[in-house]
Amino acid sequence: MTMSEMNTDTDLVPNARQQGDAVLATVRGEIDLHNSPELRGALIELLDKARPKKLILNLSQVPYMDSSAIAVLVEMLQKLRKTGGKLCLTNLQPRVKSLLEIARLDSIFVLAKTDEEALAK
Amino acid sequence: MKRSTSRQSQAGAYKTGPFVLKISSDPAHLAPTRVAIERLCTDGGFNAESAAAIGLAVNEAVANVIRHAYGGAPGKPIELCVRFDNEGVTIELRDWGNGTNPCDLAPPPPNPLKPGGLGLLCMRQMMDSLVFTPQPDGMLLVMKKRKSSASAA
Repeated sequence: MTMSEMNTDTDLVPNARQQGDAVLATVRGEIDLHNSPELRGALIELLDKARPKKLILNLSQVPYMDSSAIAVLVEMLQKLRKTGGKLCLTNLQPRVKSLLEIARLDSIFVLAKTDEEALAK
Repeated sequence: MKRSTSRQSQAGAYKTGPFVLKISSDPAHLAPTRVAIERLCTDGGFNAESAAAIGLAVNEAVANVIRHAYGGAPGKPIELCVRFDNEGVTIELRDWGNGTNPCDLAPPPPNPLKPGGLGLLCMRQMMDSLVFTPQPDGMLLVMKKRKSSASAA
C-alpha cells in the first residue's frame, strides 16, 4: 500500500498522510468559531489534493470543539459522500464525543477508537 | 466588628458575584471567555463536567451574537453578567445588535446534516433555561443552570 506525507499550512492539522485511498490527518487544538474556518480550509485542501475515498481525522489532541467545528465536519462528510467516500473520526475525547451525541451525529460519522480500526472499516 | 462584617460581605460577594465580562464581537474572545466562565462556575460549586457544559453554552451564545446579531462585524460590545446563588448560576448576555432571536433562526425539526441551529440546541441541552428578551437596542439572553441536578458537585 502506498503511503505519502501531505503538508498543510496550519498548526491545526500538524500532519497528514495518504495511505492507499485514505487520507489520515491529525487535528490539534481547541476548535471554535475563531479557528474553524482555518480547519475548513486545510481539510478542503487535503480533499482536493488527494481525492480520498476515506478521510480519517485523529481527534486525540482536540479537547474541545463547538458547533462551528461540527459544521466543518458535516461539510467534509457531505463532500466525501458525493463521491461515495466516508469521514472517520478516531480517538475522540469525552467533550467532543458528547457534542457529537447532542448533534445526533455520532451515528452518521464513522467513529473508531484508533486510526487502524478506521482504516479497516 | 465592622471590619469583619465587611470582609465577610466581600467574601460572599466573591462567591456570588455579580461578575461582569465585557468583550467585543471578535471570535478570538470566545476561548478566553469560555475558560473564564468555566473557572467561575468551578469556583461557584459546579463540578468540572457541569462547568464545561456551561462554558459550551456560553461559547455558543456569544458565537450566535457575533454571527447573527452583529453579522460578523468586529468591535461591537458584548456584556456577560454572572451571578451565583444557592440554586445555581444565572448568566445574562447582552448585545446591542440587530435584535436577532436565535429561536427564530433554528430550523425545525433539526436535521443532523444541516447543522444550522446546533448552537441553540447545545445551549438548550446544557442549560436549564434560556430566555431571550428583545431590548429597544438589542437582545438580552438570560441562561440558568441549577446545581441540584445530578451533574452538580
